[in-house]
Amino acid sequence: MADLRVELGPLSLRNPVIAASGTFGYGREYRDLVALDSLGGIVVKGVSPFSSPGNPPPRTAEVEAGMLNAIGLQNPGIDKFVADPEYLPWLRTVNTAVIVNIWGRTVEDYVLVAERLEAEKSGIAALEINISCPNIKEGGIGFGTDLGMVEQVVGRVRRATTLPLITKLSPNVSRIADFARCAVDAGSDILSLINTLPAMAIDVESRKPRLANVTGGLSGPAIKPVAVKLVYEAAQAVEAPIIGMGGIVSAEDAAEFILAGASAVGVGTAIFADPQCLSRIVEGLDLYCRRQGVDALAELVGAVKF
Amino acid sequence: MAEKRQEKSLIRNNRRLQGDYCQVDLESPGIAPLVAPGQFVHVKMPNLEHRILRRPFSVYDTDPKDGRLSIVYKVIGLGTAHLATLKPGTELDLLGPLGVGFTPPRPEQTPIVVAGGYGCAATYLLARQSPVPAYCLLGGRSADDLLLVEEFKQLDAQVELATDDGSRGRRGLVTELLEELLARGDLRNPQIYACGPVGMLKAVGRIAHQSGLVAEISLDHAMCCGVGACFACVVKVKADTPAGWDYARTCVEGPVFRSDQAVWE
Ligand SMILES: Cc1cc2nc3c(=O)[nH]c(=O)nc-3n(C[C@H](O)[C@H](O)[C@H](O)COP(=O)(O)OP(=O)(O)OC[C@H]3O[C@@H](n4cnc5c(N)ncnc54)[C@H](O)[C@@H]3O)c2cc1C
Ligand SMILES: Cc1cc2nc3c(=O)[nH]c(=O)nc-3n(C[C@H](O)[C@H](O)[C@H](O)COP(=O)(O)O)c2cc1C
Ligand code: FES
Repeated sequence: MADLRVELGPLSLRNPVIAASGTFGYGREYRDLVALDSLGGIVVKGVSPFSSPGNPPPRTAEVEAGMLNAIGLQNPGIDKFVADPEYLPWLRTVNTAVIVNIWGRTVEDYVLVAERLEAEKSGIAALEINISCPNIKEGGIGFGTDLGMVEQVVGRVRRATTLPLITKLSPNVSRIADFARCAVDAGSDILSLINTLPAMAIDVESRKPRLANVTGGLSGPAIKPVAVKLVYEAAQAVEAPIIGMGGIVSAEDAAEFILAGASAVGVGTAIFADPQCLSRIVEGLDLYCRRQGVDALAELVGAVKF
Repeated sequence: MAEKRQEKSLIRNNRRLQGDYCQVDLESPGIAPLVAPGQFVHVKMPNLEHRILRRPFSVYDTDPKDGRLSIVYKVIGLGTAHLATLKPGTELDLLGPLGVGFTPPRPEQTPIVVAGGYGCAATYLLARQSPVPAYCLLGGRSADDLLLVEEFKQLDAQVELATDDGSRGRRGLVTELLEELLARGDLRNPQIYACGPVGMLKAVGRIAHQSGLVAEISLDHAMCCGVGACFACVVKVKADTPAGWDYARTCVEGPVFRSDQAVWE
């Protein structure tokens, strides 16, 4: 068995496979189907200071090799997340790293959630700042594509928490390296990328957009080559560890991100097709290490050959 | 919530029933015994990897002893057209049983099933397991759209049919049969269960409310995870919020909802 352990700066994981935010609910939903203790970690659906109903349906559309979503960050709000036995109290009982994804409409919203979680931090392994959701008008991608805002949000959240901090970058920028450096300089320990790509689909018979929100975020295998390139460029720009994601279905997909410079990987859309894919990717990475003749997966991080 | 499983099940039989409707019988010994009427399974289509999402189907019938689980499906798009080509022995990956099904009728109630299209399949298990004979009102556009009529008749049930074009049963809407049945006024504690097109479900809810009843209606909505994790499948339901409504997930809070909870748009 190869050594699959991962050190992401202050965050240690038993293996590099993490269930991505928004695709794994609050963990509980999959408890019958996935052995949580076989995963490196899980990222919960984005939590905001207020409860949010999200966007009107239809919220998703299947497209060639992927899907669009415009969920709109429906969530119970921080008060309920912290207190309701189904959320954080339950997450404290699971044997895997629990990463809480946070979002807001203003910088203060992010700070407020980070402060509340700092006060409740037992059982939380890290925070992930979502500044890259394409489906909300304020916050989200509006922050993630503006260097000044990235610096402010990350800097303010950094001062509000002692937890390891991950910043989830938007792919929707012309130079990812600038945003990677900006987030790290503002205090982010780790970067994660990519979030979904802004996209649209039209039903040609009804001539209507397939999402009520008109546009949404593209995820799944269709985005993988785009994601690999952005992870590669971000890894060239910063020393900080990277969680790479976008279209990962198999261990070979995950290996591609690791060779491009990611230390860990997120898996999202593929879970909908097959909840077992998470543990299959863990097992497959072990085999991949043996095929490559390395004892530890860490040796392969950024090891693409030219 | 009840246990759910992921199971690789083998196709035993896959055949066309009538028109665009087909029935697939699966060997699913892990899931079949757990299914309650109105629940669904989420099916991964083999060799269709570029279409990544599972497809949800109500469980039509089960034989827990034999491990059989059957689905009746209408060919409407890529996934169902592909499903119709699969041969016995092919493996299908199922998640199930999922969702909240119908509340089982009690012996002192009179169950009334109102179904259109694949709704006949979604309500059959309820009628079959009912402790008292159910009234089964089945509707469709024409005779070809009336599903499983013989199967319903073989139950100890009172079966009535309606078609839009009058090609079989009453010419008219299945909801007219419901109105007439309720107008008789001699049914003991009628309990209505419905699955079918949205227009039909709306009418069933209205008719039930006019008689002081609440129907249980099964809604369908495009899904991704099927287990409550992604919030893709939401419908508006009445709720104690400032707006008076909230979004509920069809896959875990439904697919069966009370008609007095529904917010029709
Ligand atoms: C709880 C539930 C129970 C169902 N039970 C049955 C049943 O017993 N028999 C039956 O024939 N059909 C049933 N359906 C509808 C069935 O899921 C769709 O007909 C099927 O997903 C269509 O797939 P497709 O690939 O052929 O269509 P496509 O149009 O190619 O599918 C594209 C995408 O849209 C989704 N989609 C399209 N139409 C529907 C729909 N009406 N409902 C949900 N998702 C849809 C598909 O799942 C897929 O993700 C049920 C739906 C739900 C939600
Ligand atoms: C239905 C859905 C909901 C999502 N919700 C969130 C979210 O709340 N917060 C977030 O940071 N990313 C969210 N994402 C993005 C994923 O975490 C991930 O970055 C993206 O989907 C790419 O990975 P994938 O191709 O493996 O799905 C969501 C994605 C999907 C498909
Ligand atoms: S399909 Fe994911 S929450 Fe219902």
